[in-house]
Amino acid sequence: MQLEILNLTKLYDQKRGLQPTSFAIKKGELIAVVGHNGAGKSTLLKMLANWILPDRGQVTIDGIDLKNRTAVVKKVGFVPEVPNLFDFFSVEYNLKLFAFLFQTPFLRVDEILQEFNLLAFRKNKIQELSKGLKQRVNIGRALLADPPVLLFDEPTSALDFEMTKEFYRLLHTIHEAGKTILFTSHRPEEIKSLATRIMVLHKGSLVFDGSPQKYFQSEVHENLYA
Amino acid sequence: MMIRNILALAFNDLAVALKNKTIYLILFIPLFVFVSLKLLDRTDVDIHKIRIGLLQHYAYAPQILGSVKAAEKIIEVTWVQNEEEGTRLLQEKKIDGVLLRNEKEPGSLALLVLKKESLPTLAIVESFSALQKAAEGISTSWITDIKPLHEGGIQRQTLPTWILMLVLLVGFIILPAQVAEEKEKKLLLALLQTPIREMQWLIAKVIMGMVLTMMAVLFLHLLGRFTVVNLFDYIAFIFAGSFCFSAYGVFLGFLCRNQASARTLGVLFYLPHLLPSALSEFSQKLTVVAPLMPSYQFYEPLKAILLEDGRAANMSFELVYLFFVGLFTFYLSSLLMKRRWLM
Repeated sequence: MQLEILNLTKLYDQKRGLQPTSFAIKKGELIAVVGHNGAGKSTLLKMLANWILPDRGQVTIDGIDLKNRTAVVKKVGFVPEVPNLFDFFSVEYNLKLFAFLFQTPFLRVDEILQEFNLLAFRKNKIQELSKGLKQRVNIGRALLADPPVLLFDEPTSALDFEMTKEFYRLLHTIHEAGKTILFTSHRPEEIKSLATRIMVLHKGSLVFDGSPQKYFQSEVHENLYA
Repeated sequence: MMIRNILALAFNDLAVALKNKTIYLILFIPLFVFVSLKLLDRTDVDIHKIRIGLLQHYAYAPQILGSVKAAEKIIEVTWVQNEEEGTRLLQEKKIDGVLLRNEKEPGSLALLVLKKESLPTLAIVESFSALQKAAEGISTSWITDIKPLHEGGIQRQTLPTWILMLVLLVGFIILPAQVAEEKEKKLLLALLQTPIREMQWLIAKVIMGMVLTMMAVLFLHLLGRFTVVNLFDYIAFIFAGSFCFSAYGVFLGFLCRNQASARTLGVLFYLPHLLPSALSEFSQKLTVVAPLMPSYQFYEPLKAILLEDGRAANMSFELVYLFFVGLFTFYLSSLLMKRRWLM
């Protein structure tokens, strides 16, 4: 197993957050984490990304404990809902800064710029870019260190139809490159077309974990979108 | 409809100001000024006696000695062997001035003081002028010359205050806002997704604050063409002060969720650190309160080095104090950072 999660817990108060949750993920899975707002989806992803510290529980990624942050960050790339880039600096500067911190050769920045069709925008400041382009830079940054696991928090929530389609293509490409992906979503069509496995969180608890076929036949889906 | 919208928006703005603590400034600044003025203008404050040094082997005019003796409630006399001893006592701040023979104008006196433009000098001149009027009723002054130990004019006298303002500006206004911005925009979390250590980020922030401070101080010296006699002592204190207040500023940034809060908190710390130190000369009460502030432990040595040719070797307590405050706030920041405080 690439990701092993045991009794991972984070409670903001007794109602919100993530109740003790355990599951495992195999390499190459594309998992959609589904649930209402406040179900604990983002909390789960943010804990795996080291943004939030868990109250309890253990997580290992490729055998490395999540607490070993400086080692585990090379294994996990996190793309938050709102791009968190240095707005006043160029696309290239942002990527080079993070490449430097990851101790990745700058050649990788050129690869990312090419791979994500960002070459024409390399000198543009982040604040001049559209949401879709910012998201592309954000994803490119997450891939700088070539991590085997990628986490996307509500990746299409701020994107229009065209940008969303473009993101799906991008996600397919990344998945085909052998990455393990977890993404949170509200959109059934997104889940159906992308995921190889679906996890449903409700009020902080994992209430469903299975294939998309099972999910769309189950009561969970009906109840969730009733 | 339009007025309703405007009112709704105004209430919303007030709510935002309350939420991001900007409103606290509205309450804090008048309160702070009120307390400071109370400390400055209290009528029951004991009048500080003028401590004057007189030469043992100089024959002062009898009316001068008589007037000084008659005014023993406001003038305290210290007899000194010679001008050298008077100078030493002045530098040790045991007396406020020494009355010497004025070589240029026989029969009159020269007043030796630390600074020409200072409250003690003004108090001595005014007191002796009043005594003379009472004794002789004529306007020719007993004191016809003032010899300051430290030259440099009013610009140089105010230099320590400007330096203090610069250091506090970087520490309490610039740095907290920058740290809070990185938290607010989740840039810090983005950086923590690389293999950098928390400590590295903190050190980088403190170094940035120190570099900004030193650049500002250097720029001020170049513009004003201010020279420093004890340069290494001066650099040591600028280094210690910039470290202390940069670490302090980073810590304040960690206490805030966003830039607006950080700016408010910065001002809340900036004023109390600036005013008691800068105004301590004007108030005995503030002189009692000011040493509790780290800024005073920076300002006093700075003043001594810049204006009185003081040496850092005599101010090791202040130096250690500044480093201690810096290290302590740095440690607190690292704890908050590890706990992802308000991120």
